[in-house]
Amino acid sequence: MSTAGVFHFQGRAIPFREGETIAAALTAAEIVCFGQDSSGRATRYFCGIGACQCCLVRVDGNIVEACLTPAREGLRVTAAGENDAGA
Amino acid sequence: MPAPDMVIIGGGPAGLAAAGEAARAGLTVTLIEQRAALGGAIFRQPSSGEVVALPRSRAAERLWRSLLAGIAQPKVKVRFSTSFLGVDGDGHVLIHDRAAQTVERLRPKAVIIACGAVERVRLRPGWDLPGVATAGGLQVMMKETGAAPRGRVLLAGSGPLLVALAAQMIRAGNPPLAVVEAGDPLSKPLAGPPLVGHPAILSEAVSYTMTLLRSRVRWLRGAHVERIERRGEVLQATVALRDGSREVIEADRIGLHDGIAENDIGLPDQAESASPIVIHAGDCREALGALGAILDGQRAGRRAAALVKNETVSMASLDKQLERARAVQRAIARLFGPVVTLPGAGELPDDTVLCRCEGRTVGDLKALLQQPGISGREVKHVGRFAMGSCQGRFCAANTTALMAELQAGGRRPEQQDLTGQRWPVRPTPIAAFVNAGPLDPAEDKEELS
Repeated sequence: MSTAGVFHFQGRAIPFREGETIAAALTAAEIVCFGQDSSGRATRYFCGIGACQCCLVRVDGNIVEACLTPAREGLRVTAAGENDAGA
Repeated sequence: MPAPDMVIIGGGPAGLAAAGEAARAGLTVTLIEQRAALGGAIFRQPSSGEVVALPRSRAAERLWRSLLAGIAQPKVKVRFSTSFLGVDGDGHVLIHDRAAQTVERLRPKAVIIACGAVERVRLRPGWDLPGVATAGGLQVMMKETGAAPRGRVLLAGSGPLLVALAAQMIRAGNPPLAVVEAGDPLSKPLAGPPLVGHPAILSEAVSYTMTLLRSRVRWLRGAHVERIERRGEVLQATVALRDGSREVIEADRIGLHDGIAENDIGLPDQAESASPIVIHAGDCREALGALGAILDGQRAGRRAAALVKNETVSMASLDKQLERARAVQRAIARLFGPVVTLPGAGELPDDTVLCRCEGRTVGDLKALLQQPGISGREVKHVGRFAMGSCQGRFCAANTTALMAELQAGGRRPEQQDLTGQRWPVRPTPIAAFVNAGPLDPAEDKEELS
């Protein structure tokens, strides 16, 4: 299966396939913890349907559900809580 | 862009069935789906043409094609990657186009909310650890990617979904380590008769069960996962077996599932005289599975169309079929009923996380309940239970169950006491609101005149 591109998660290059969500690509890269939310709790893939809000990550500054958001070339993905201090 | 007569939230079986029915009745429909493809959880599509889809039964394939055929007409417009934010005080439906990053306002006459079910997950220490997901979450990702979850995977909880997922993983080449099941469906063959009337359900269930039984995967019935701990890279699940002994199973991923529940948490529905009319449909209203969701979607589409057109319409045939779908769900619940006593939440260690979003524990709730007569509303506002971004979808039921367990003799709290009614909170950038487009031209004129 061919790689459609690469995005960056906390400095690491993550390959993804066409149409794949950020959560699916992180999971394929064996990443289970998606960083910390703004309260310091670990975020991770859980329900897969956008209901639990446990997989929130920050994409180019905006918080999104990793399980709903398609990966795109060059995205900068960080932990949901990461920007808070500097914002 | 003229306002659609109806906005439907969710492109799963109920939403698609509702859209087809409303369009057949002559209404224009905009169906919004938060993902880039239709299907919901049950018909989740592979994420690209390159992915080899998991095999589906012929009956499921027929259902899916007929749902798509129902909406393949000009009166139905589908908006992908679009989430629903709510209905404002003026009756505008707010939607968020996640690709364009704009919020839009629509002014339909009716809204059908068909956002599916949520999975129940019983409390166990460690359920909130990274690496632990819902079994349904693992299954939808498998449907998207075409590949079984990697590594050593343990499935635990109760219900037919665990059997289905185990069989799919076996067929995809990575069998789970074991399936831990609180019930013992094999010991209850007499619970099945209502299923016989549904050959499609029955043949799929038999096929999954046979795949599991013929494999080397251990199906630990009458057992439950007592706790999960992380040891470095590995998750350790302590399983309480039926004979009272304990076994520790090491896994890379754990899928938990204790049944499905309605995903209508906090969502208002509005009276028939309201503008717009708001109707819940499918598993979001009543968790009846895919066949029930299609029937209920048809019912909602037909009912909403009749209300909009000020006509009356008979629901007798659909209601009768829905009653059969309920009987099937009851039979499945009997089949998978626990055969061992599962520990009450009050018996769990105090540091067991109860509300993940706010990091509130069983001990926090116990301490709060020291105050006599404390209400569900206070548990939320003072204790922050069900206060976080999941809006109580994964903690309100467990919290109220524990409150009932600990406040013996008191009024049994309702989930609604904790969740209240509010439209879904979704991460939406302020810029998307700033970019909110104008109302449709017809309505602009109306407001100016």
